[in-house]
Amino acid sequence: MNERSKIQPDWFGKTVCGLFLGFALALALVGCFAWFGPGGIDAQDKYQFNMWLLAPIWLSVLSFVYLFHSTRRALLWLGGANLLAWGLLLLLR
Amino acid sequence: MQIRSDILRIYQKVHLWTGITAGILLFICFFAGALTMFKPQLSAWASPPTSILPQIATAQADELLQQALEQHPEIAKGFTLHLEDDKHAPLTWYSHGGGRGLNLNAEQWQATLDEHGQLLTQKVQPSQLGTLIDQLHRTAGIPGNLGHEQLGVLVMGVASILYFMALVSGVIFLLPTLVKTLFALRQKKGPSRFWLDSHNLLGITALPFHIVIAITVVVFAFHDAFYDALGEFVYGKTPGFSRGAPLVQPLNITHLPPIREIIATANQHAPGYEARTLTFMGLDTPRPAVRIEMYNEQALMRGPLADFLSLQPYSLETQFSTFSPTAAGTWGRIVAVFFGLHFGSFGGMPGRWLYFFMGLSGAMLFYSGNLLWLEKRRQQQKGAELPQQPRKVRLMAAATVGCCLGAMVAVAITMLLGKWLYSWVTNINHSYLWSYYLCFAAAVLYSFWRGAARAAIHLLRIGALACIAMPLTSVLATYAPSLGIWAPHTLTTLMVDLVALLFAFGFLYSARLTQQRTVNGPADSIWAIIDKQNSATPASRLSVY
Repeated sequence: MNERSKIQPDWFGKTVCGLFLGFALALALVGCFAWFGPGGIDAQDKYQFNMWLLAPIWLSVLSFVYLFHSTRRALLWLGGANLLAWGLLLLLR
Repeated sequence: MQIRSDILRIYQKVHLWTGITAGILLFICFFAGALTMFKPQLSAWASPPTSILPQIATAQADELLQQALEQHPEIAKGFTLHLEDDKHAPLTWYSHGGGRGLNLNAEQWQATLDEHGQLLTQKVQPSQLGTLIDQLHRTAGIPGNLGHEQLGVLVMGVASILYFMALVSGVIFLLPTLVKTLFALRQKKGPSRFWLDSHNLLGITALPFHIVIAITVVVFAFHDAFYDALGEFVYGKTPGFSRGAPLVQPLNITHLPPIREIIATANQHAPGYEARTLTFMGLDTPRPAVRIEMYNEQALMRGPLADFLSLQPYSLETQFSTFSPTAAGTWGRIVAVFFGLHFGSFGGMPGRWLYFFMGLSGAMLFYSGNLLWLEKRRQQQKGAELPQQPRKVRLMAAATVGCCLGAMVAVAITMLLGKWLYSWVTNINHSYLWSYYLCFAAAVLYSFWRGAARAAIHLLRIGALACIAMPLTSVLATYAPSLGIWAPHTLTTLMVDLVALLFAFGFLYSARLTQQRTVNGPADSIWAIIDKQNSATPASRLSVY
């Protein structure tokens, strides 16, 4: 494995990406689930369940963000996923 | 399983940093959390028998309420009934404080009937030992508020984010060697191997438990922010929690149906559920309610002790239920499962004991993690000269020993002092607070002053002493009642003494091991105690690791 293909640590950049883009992504995914998932937006008590769902998604993104090759890649992938999820949510809602 | 070495290195770093920052806080919360499994039992143990009036048969509840109401008209606002539970008086109400928040000065009235059906009442300041240990569990003992949240809860929310990352990273960098080493406890290969093996075993076998705890704590700490974000960006409005319409004409306690009818209605709500505690609130207001703790040993319950059912106390209409059996209640039920898995409120007493040991094993996980961190940074002895251990290693060792053992010892001493001081102070709850913080601070200071090796032995011995003193106090109380202390009078409170005795043996055993390590362990370890006059190292103590 040569030096360039090795994962860059990029502690600060990746952590920030995981914290903020991860939370935004979790919010969008939960939003899609809230609107288009089983029971729809008005199901009884689903509001609470959706709130709970935020935590595992956010924490998973934050934990696995260090697998990205660099901050730049993390930014591109997580940013892209965010655009997709938010676009889906805002267009179809 | 093969994982690229650069990924392993990165996740090893994530694990080290998240673990070392959150470890001590998590230790305190897990140890205290294990104790909260028996919160009412601890409070009952800390209360003299005279401060809990004896129970009555549930059939007498209406009679008791009638008689008490004649003498104490303030009951018409609200009161609590504890059904056949010897950890509480049958009828209680608060003359001062008694809301849902912590109030150390709360004054509780109690009422019961004697064997002739005569009313007995008394006013007490109930011991809140259980509640305070619960506070320690939720905040790690960090005082103060931030907005309307407790600062400690928010700190633990952040610590739990780190905790989750530590779990994921720990599993990732263990994966390549997992199958080979999981059940290997290599004692022969030296203490650091042994600690590493036990750390891995504790972590992997309890992994689902740890994941649940980490996620639930993050939600408990940040649910307000999460709800706000959801309301703002997803729902576009705040759905909130629906409440029934208020009464146009407030009713009063004379309109209340008989207690046995209320209990019967509650018990019919779902099979297997049984009303334990009924709290009547706002009876003379437009929003009256009776909040009922419903217990079902077969169910996974939403609260720390039971599920909840809220009825309109006059019409007995359901206002709110955490165990609604209807199809529409599925989402609420799933959420209840998350709560129940954190609280360990399932499986009856065996479930509680399981969670008690899981809590202690979690504490061990964090303690062993810190020990591994220290071991890794040890300056190894190369020649005849003993190396000076790096400053950060000595400080971290002192912090680990001082905070972790200090918190355990402080709780033990506080419990013991609580019994002895009870008849000498006006409000024992303040003594608990003073005692805990003073002991904890003393332990931390001592640990930094004398160093981790000595402090560990001394703190473990003091802990053993405090724990042995608890059952001894009970023996003494039986033979010398004039001392103002008391012996356990129920099986549950006797169990507290017995568990204290077990803890004493645990402390003593650990103290012995730690003592042996200072003499027989490698001399270049922070755990070694080297005689200053005789610092030439015998060859037998050269490090072999």
